[in-house]
Amino acid sequence: MLGDGTRDARRTERYLDELMAADERRSPGIPVDVDLDPAVRFAAGELSTGLVRVHPSFRFEDALASRLSAAAARLKAGLPAEEYLPLPAGVLAEFPSRAGHAAGATEPAGHAAGSAGATGPAAALRRLPERAGHPSRPLIMGGVGVGVASAALSLGAVYVAWRHSHPASGRMARAARAAHGRTGQSSQHRRTGVINGILGVVS
Amino acid sequence: MFGRVEEGARPARLDRDRGLVEAARRDPSRFDALYRKYLAQVYSYAYYELRDHHAAEDATGRVFMQALVGLPRFEERVDAFIASRIPAGEADSAELSTFRVWLFRIARNVIANERRRDRRRPVSSLDEVAEFSAPGDVVDAAAAREAVGAAWEAVSRLPEDRRRAVILRFVDEMSTAEIAAVLGRSEGAVRVLLHRALRSVADDLRGRLS
Repeated sequence: MLGDGTRDARRTERYLDELMAADERRSPGIPVDVDLDPAVRFAAGELSTGLVRVHPSFRFEDALASRLSAAAARLKAGLPAEEYLPLPAGVLAEFPSRAGHAAGATEPAGHAAGSAGATGPAAALRRLPERAGHPSRPLIMGGVGVGVASAALSLGAVYVAWRHSHPASGRMARAARAAHGRTGQSSQHRRTGVINGILGVVS
Repeated sequence: MFGRVEEGARPARLDRDRGLVEAARRDPSRFDALYRKYLAQVYSYAYYELRDHHAAEDATGRVFMQALVGLPRFEERVDAFIASRIPAGEADSAELSTFRVWLFRIARNVIANERRRDRRRPVSSLDEVAEFSAPGDVVDAAAAREAVGAAWEAVSRLPEDRRRAVILRFVDEMSTAEIAAVLGRSEGAVRVLLHRALRSVADDLRGRLS
């Protein structure tokens, strides 16, 4: 024996099934059930009109399809579905330790071999005081964009520092220095001090 | 766990997604057909639950990635729980997709995790949804926008379990048996949830109109 509540719920279900079937047939007629609570009928009509299915953007659809396709290829090859897990934003990452650098554990062979008398931005970076090359503070990584921009700025600053410590020796450069009176050691030191200030070097 | 062979389980002989699932199992690159078929349904479910376009995209991506990876473990079977709630013969009527139920169970878990992670997510306006539904002339568009907005407001005020049942029924057009399987409730409980949800929505809409 069904209670009133169960009977009403079953009646509602039948009505919703009919409503859905009418919608699939694109039939304009709304099913009529005179015994159904009018409030339920009203709400069902409003929700079937108002609750529309939403499609994501085609750009998202294609991007996810590409991701799934790449994952499927990896699965087919017996590899994990995703190549790497991206580092979440705001994770703290330590620079390599001093000991690790001293041992040359992570340094490429070419760099290690040429460190003694080498010139160039990388060598200039190695010759800077320890705090500049390997700050003890952790670095906050705010995402790929921030990381790339930060790296580009750092390399740029190192390059500028190297250029100032290695003035051009060509005839034109000497002429320019003579013309502008830039041979003085005090001026050179001031500029280097400013750059070191930017890099956080304590002299 | 759905998808595993369980005691008392029986195969759904004419699961409407059987061909696509088998093809994707043999060759994962064929998963694309299942993805295209269910993308809008999964995305809509996520969007109505999370009410944020970006969160819905993230959740949708996770759902399909988990489904792709988990597909070898999925078995086209109606477990005892579902079988006991399907009227005789209906499982053979090509109306039931055990894959869809399985996919929406993944979606339910992913979305629940998302909601747990950020309970204070700002609620976005429904302008975007209203525009999807109203591509026609201005009057139709305004009417559709109003209908969508009113429905959205009414549904968003429902308790969580009623809201989920309503979304699965009206947006994803699931049967009571499928909703019961996705939500892990009995079919009778889902019927009552829907009936009560409709009464609440009616009260809400009438209150707004008056």
